[in-house]
Amino acid sequence: MIHDGVFYVAVIWLTVLVALCAAQLLRSRSTASRVLALDTLVLLLIGLLVLWSDAEGVSYFLDAALGLAVLAFVGTLAAARFHGEGKMF
Amino acid sequence: MSGSQALAIAADLLVVFGLLVTTLGVAGMFRMPDVYTELHAASKAVFLGIVAFLLASLATSDGTIMARAALITIFLLLTTPVGAHAIARAAYQRREPMATPGALDESGCGLAPSESSDP
Repeated sequence: MIHDGVFYVAVIWLTVLVALCAAQLLRSRSTASRVLALDTLVLLLIGLLVLWSDAEGVSYFLDAALGLAVLAFVGTLAAARFHGEGKMF
Repeated sequence: MSGSQALAIAADLLVVFGLLVTTLGVAGMFRMPDVYTELHAASKAVFLGIVAFLLASLATSDGTIMARAALITIFLLLTTPVGAHAIARAAYQRREPMATPGALDESGCGLAPSESSDP
């Protein structure tokens, strides 16, 4: 279990980082860079869920984190393939 | 100062370490000039920070949480490089130019900036 003060600071900090990632997503001009920013944003969300499950001591946030990881992987792969080759399969 | 208290302090330190590394990764994603260099910061540094968060969950000493944390760690370890490689391959296939000063393109497609082409 992590302490409450550390948990609050970490959650606020990670939320700021998620907002920065969203800003990069809107700011960047190249599509590959946007796909990367979206991938990083989902990775940060997974970190937020893991932190929450550490602090509360319950495991079901991690199920959501695992599902988010699977979705982010498939989405990144599909978007990158579509951008690079013009088709997915 | 019991054992569980020391474990909690170790988890705190791991979370702070993860925050620092994740912040460095996002800052690198902002500062780097093109996709090829952004991939270094975004896929490696942010992943390392998330793994530190997952290691901090060992301090809960709860079997279900630790098993799921190990599962997520292994999954991210396998999928993050694959995703980064797919993004880099897409950028290369679309002939996205490199913006880093002094970059060297060895593929012969002329993606490097022109002022660095002569040695």
